[in-house]
Amino acid sequence: MQEIVLIGILISTCLMAVAKRLPALIRSFRYQSFFLFLATFLVAWKEAQPDLYVVAGLLLVIKAALIPHVLYRIINKIKVGQDLGLFINTQLSLLCALLFAYLAWDFSSKLIVYGSHAQTGILSVALFSVLIGFFLMISRITALAQIIGLLVMENGLFLLASAVSGGMPFFVEIAIFFDVFVSVVIMGFFIYRINKFFTHIDVNKLSNLKG
Amino acid sequence: MIKISVIILQLLVFILAAPFLSGLITKIKNFLRMRQGESILQPYYHLAKLFSKEEVVSETTSWVFKAAPFVTIVSSLAAALLVPVFIFAAPLHIAGDLLAVIFIFALGRFFLALAALDAGSSFGGMGSSREMFISSLAEPVLCLVAATAVLHFGSTDLSAFSGMHALSASVIVAAMALFLAVIAETSRVPVDNQETHLELTMIHEAMVLEYSGRPLALIAMASYIKQMAWFFIIAQIVFPISLPCFTDPAQAARWILWYLSRIAIIALSMALVEVSMSKMRLFRTADFLGFAFVLGVIAIACAILGV
Repeated sequence: MQEIVLIGILISTCLMAVAKRLPALIRSFRYQSFFLFLATFLVAWKEAQPDLYVVAGLLLVIKAALIPHVLYRIINKIKVGQDLGLFINTQLSLLCALLFAYLAWDFSSKLIVYGSHAQTGILSVALFSVLIGFFLMISRITALAQIIGLLVMENGLFLLASAVSGGMPFFVEIAIFFDVFVSVVIMGFFIYRINKFFTHIDVNKLSNLKG
Repeated sequence: MIKISVIILQLLVFILAAPFLSGLITKIKNFLRMRQGESILQPYYHLAKLFSKEEVVSETTSWVFKAAPFVTIVSSLAAALLVPVFIFAAPLHIAGDLLAVIFIFALGRFFLALAALDAGSSFGGMGSSREMFISSLAEPVLCLVAATAVLHFGSTDLSAFSGMHALSASVIVAAMALFLAVIAETSRVPVDNQETHLELTMIHEAMVLEYSGRPLALIAMASYIKQMAWFFIIAQIVFPISLPCFTDPAQAARWILWYLSRIAIIALSMALVEVSMSKMRLFRTADFLGFAFVLGVIAIACAILGV
């Protein structure tokens, strides 16, 4: 069961690498968060920890529902068109994703020598998610993609924490959730301002002087 | 003698049931779009109409044009005999495996593309160039699925999957990759559209534009059979059926129900994909099948890790 959820995270992360438009990217972020919720829920169910149920519920509410909703609203509000703007085209992005998957798997199998297969799997999927988030931030032109890249990295770190140390303490987890949500709102507002001043959200042109 | 009767029975099942499967998918699609739609038996009427019409052949064509429909239908039927359908083993399972199925279908497609070029019309050339572009991208995915089958089931022989119950991550991912490739193979929506004859978008239809009458009926029949064979292959990979025991009638009824519903599940998901997606630009299909390729690689990695 757990492998299937992990594969779900992996596939939805790959979907982000092929996404060419903002709604598709947000949708695949939603899938990833949903699978992350399933993974957390499974752990909570297996180990019978009530506070993990709360964390899973927060994941579902904040990351799978609220944050995508806020992002959709930003898209509708700024009206810049839905194109993501790619520095690296989709085919090459997919190849990069494969390379990242291999690197993540190789690294985690060297890191966890005495652990089980499942632990290696979780660690490599988590690292893969972090790498893809990083990749999205670098190789996409619009500023919204950078927010989503950050969120994907955060999802990866969440999974990493649960793989390496069995989850962070309850209050730390909750604090992180609120931090993430608040940061999305602030960055959304920031993008809104950028769009107003520059009439685009192309990060490539932000270094040009505005006379 | 039993062997021959099984072969004939399987051929009859494919010829009689394949148009129904296509009609079923169209019916589900129309239901999802809140339309009345055509009858579920429409493909049969279509075939009957085409069989009763006379054939028009262009003067500039050579023997390839006349031979291609027969090669196509025979290759579809030959591939259909390698797929286990109503008993566990395929009738000709000694003759070939999943890889053979892939390349027998490729033979039919190759001849169809040649025939489209043969007539010398501009649509034919466009259609065959597109079809070759897409199939060159779909074929690696199919081969990756076959490789996953080797690692997971220990054989590429489709009959050997029967009776195995191991539903693991690698098999699910492989079936998803195969599903995406089959969308391209059977010219369904994100890649091609069976419902339209718009010049700019059609792929398969552009290739068969020169055909009329009986040869066109044979080509249509071949594509119905091809679709049904692929559906049975997906079903064989993701829902391998157990051996039936017909001692108890209730159990036998449940077995038959499950047997038919797994095909219905695949038809339903195909219809859902078709309704919920719009057709992609031609060069975007490279991304679509590239994604299927990545799924295939993930499936192989899972099979190697043993999950």
